[in-house]
Order: sequence, then structure tokens, then C-alpha cells
Amino acid sequence: MRLPCHRGASLIVDGMPTPGTELIRAMAAGDHEAFTRFYDRYAPLVFPLVLRVVGERADAADVLQDVFWEAWRTAAAYDSARGTPEAWIVTRARTRAIDRVRAVRRRSETFVPALDAASAPAAPGGDVAERAGDRALVAEALARLPAPQREVIELAYYAGLTQSEIAERLEQPLGTVKTRIRLALARLRELVTLP
Amino acid sequence: MSHEPFETLAAIYAVGALDGDELTQFEAHLPTCPACEAAVRDAEETLARAVLTAPPQAPPAAAREALMRRVTERRDVRSRAWLRWAAATLVAAGAAAVFAGTWVAVRYEARLGQMAREMAAAKEALREELSLDRRAVELLRDPTTRVVDLRGRDGAAAANGRMIWNAAGGGHLLATGLPPAPPGKTYALWAIARGTPRPVGLFAVDANGRGGHRVAADTARDAVQGFVVTLEPEGGAPAPTGPIVLTSTR
Ligand SMILES: [Zn+2]
Repeated sequence: MRLPCHRGASLIVDGMPTPGTELIRAMAAGDHEAFTRFYDRYAPLVFPLVLRVVGERADAADVLQDVFWEAWRTAAAYDSARGTPEAWIVTRARTRAIDRVRAVRRRSETFVPALDAASAPAAPGGDVAERAGDRALVAEALARLPAPQREVIELAYYAGLTQSEIAERLEQPLGTVKTRIRLALARLRELVTLP
Repeated sequence: MSHEPFETLAAIYAVGALDGDELTQFEAHLPTCPACEAAVRDAEETLARAVLTAPPQAPPAAAREALMRRVTERRDVRSRAWLRWAAATLVAAGAAAVFAGTWVAVRYEARLGQMAREMAAAKEALREELSLDRRAVELLRDPTTRVVDLRGRDGAAAANGRMIWNAAGGGHLLATGLPPAPPGKTYALWAIARGTPRPVGLFAVDANGRGGHRVAADTARDAVQGFVVTLEPEGGAPAPTGPIVLTSTR
């Protein structure tokens, strides 16, 4: 099964696209133009992730700035043999976004992230229409996971809970949570790997 | 750690959900195991590609403007940092040619980007376990910083060390698995430059075999090519006399 790849679409906008790795190499050499292109290419791709994690648009814009500032500053340390530019920027964006959420959570200790619509078990039948706005932020690959797997990914990757916190939250044995995460990753891998 | 469930641990680690002892053990295991490292990388690639199947959404234009302004203002500083980095890389390349393949650092330099990701966790762990000050974290953020692995030798085969080193900012040694120094003895750290060790400090280890030492920058000196730790009489020595317990060279 193949998913539409929005990344591909944005690459075409550049005309003959410079590979992301080349842009990062140029950034490491202090090339502003390369950084502008890097931002224009990747910011719209990671912004939905950051927004989904932190919730507020203004906060998300803040985090996004930090993420790209850090990318600019550490471009020299990027090694294409150790990961794609996509993984480089997405991993960083997710980490910074979670940092922000945790900092907020520490400030208000009683705060418990709500199980949002997307991570609640899917109602049988169509739930698409009523959550159209929310769905816009949900990665399509995640939406294709079985509900129990999607739930653990939502809670870990997007809400920043650890496996023990998830087990407690879902009232499931830790082993079950571990297995679900492993299965979810394996399934996602199938979904995003081109044949 | 039993190695059997490593794929599961790698997946849980990649989604940021590993915790407790499992996290500590896995993070200690990760740098030593190419299979686990590859599994984590693979999971991160999968997650990135999955995330990017969400429809793109333009961030506020103000964010772009602020960022570009910030970059422009810092232009001169940034260029100098790049020159420093280039110079350091050339020095490292030269050293590697001389001390055939002795720079484990080159590999770890490449990992610095990835390490930014591990920073949040590492920051707290380092602070608690090794009482590192903010400076070490600052060093790790600097692209000119390299991380040099030290391996145990002689009577301390189980020892491991890591040197966070920045030519301009100095460095931090983190050592684990060292036996307590015998009475009257202490551990000494040496920086190798032009093939000659120069003393950069003495340190002790705690009951868990952990020790650390902050090294001040000395830009007037020749570029550092590596580090060794030896066992020396209390009070130190002008040149190494005791056995080498940790070394960044093979
Ligand atoms: Zn392993």
C-alpha cells in the first residue's frame, strides 16, 4: 500500500530540487540562501507536527523557530550516512515540541493531557465529518493504524507520555503497551516504505 | 541486558517512551551496538516519513521573518564559527592520517546532530550522575565540539570514557568503570598535542567508579590530538609515569 507523499509535491515547487543534504551542507558553510530554501521546504512539513504537539499556533511558531535556528547552528554536524534530512528535522521538531509541552506541564503540576479525539478508540462507522478540522493535523499514515496501536503512538510521540505512563493511563499491562508500540512501528514502516 | 527484545526497545526509544532502568540501560548500550543504533535510526526514519504524510501547513509568516532576521544578524559570528569548525576538521583529518584511525571523534562528530535529540535526556542524566554544569551542555550545542571516546586499557579494561572537547571552550571528561585509585595514587588526564602528553588535571572516582574532570581551554597551545588517563602518584607528574587506564587512541 502506498500513501500520498506531500513531501514529493513540495520538492517539485523548487523546479530542479536541490537535495536536502546539499542544502544542509551549504547551511554548514553559512549560506543564507540555502537556509531560506531549507526553511521554505521543510517548515510547512513539520509545522503540522509541532502544532499538533503544542496545540497553540503561537507556541508552535515559537518552537518552529527554535527548531530551525538549531538546524542552522548544527548543520555542520549533520551526517547524511546517519539519516535523511527529513528524519533529522522531524526528530528535532518533535523533541523540541515535547520539551515545550513538558515545561508547561511542570508549571502546572495537576495538568493531565486530555485524551483527544484522535487518540480515543475510533467509533465504529464514520467519524470523519465531525472531526474534519482535527483530521487535517493527523498524519495519514497514523490514521491507518489499528486504534490500539494509533493510541499508543499518539500518547507517546505526540503527547510525550512514557510507556509506564501510558500503561497507567490505559490501565493495560506494561508488556501490552510495549507490544503495541512495536507493532505500530512495524505497521507504519510498511505503510511508508515504497514498494 | 538481554539482547533479544532490542527491536522493541528501539521502537519504544524512538517514540520517546522508554523510561526508568530500561532507558538508562538502553542508552548505555546504544553507542556500543550497531544493530540497536541501526534499529533506532530505522524507527526514526519511519516516524519521520509517517509524520510527513500529514498535509503541509504554512507556519505564520512572522516566524520566518524573525528567524531570517536572527540568522542575518548573526552572520559574522556564524561565519567565524564555520571557519573554526573547518580548521578543527582539518586538524582532525591530519591527526587521523598520522595516528591511523585513532580519531573515534570523527565518528562522534557526525553524531552531534543526532545527539541534539538525545540532549534533553542526556542533560538531566549528566547533571545528576556526573554533576556536570551547564557548560558541558553548552559545549554540546556548539558545532565545533567533538566527542572523543576513551577505551579502557591495562588494569581497567571495563573502563570507558568520553571527552567532550572544544578547542576554544575547553572540555569535560566523563569516565565510568574505573576502580578506585590505590592509596597514594590518583588519576591523571593528559592531552596529546604534537605527539606529546601535557597534564590537564587530576581526578578521583566515586564509589560507582565514576569520575569527571573539567579542562580549561588553552587556545595558545597546539591542537589536541587525543587524550589519555594514567594512574599517577598523588600530586601528579610532569609526564606520564603510571599505566594507561583510558585512551582515545587504539
Ligand atoms: Zn543492541
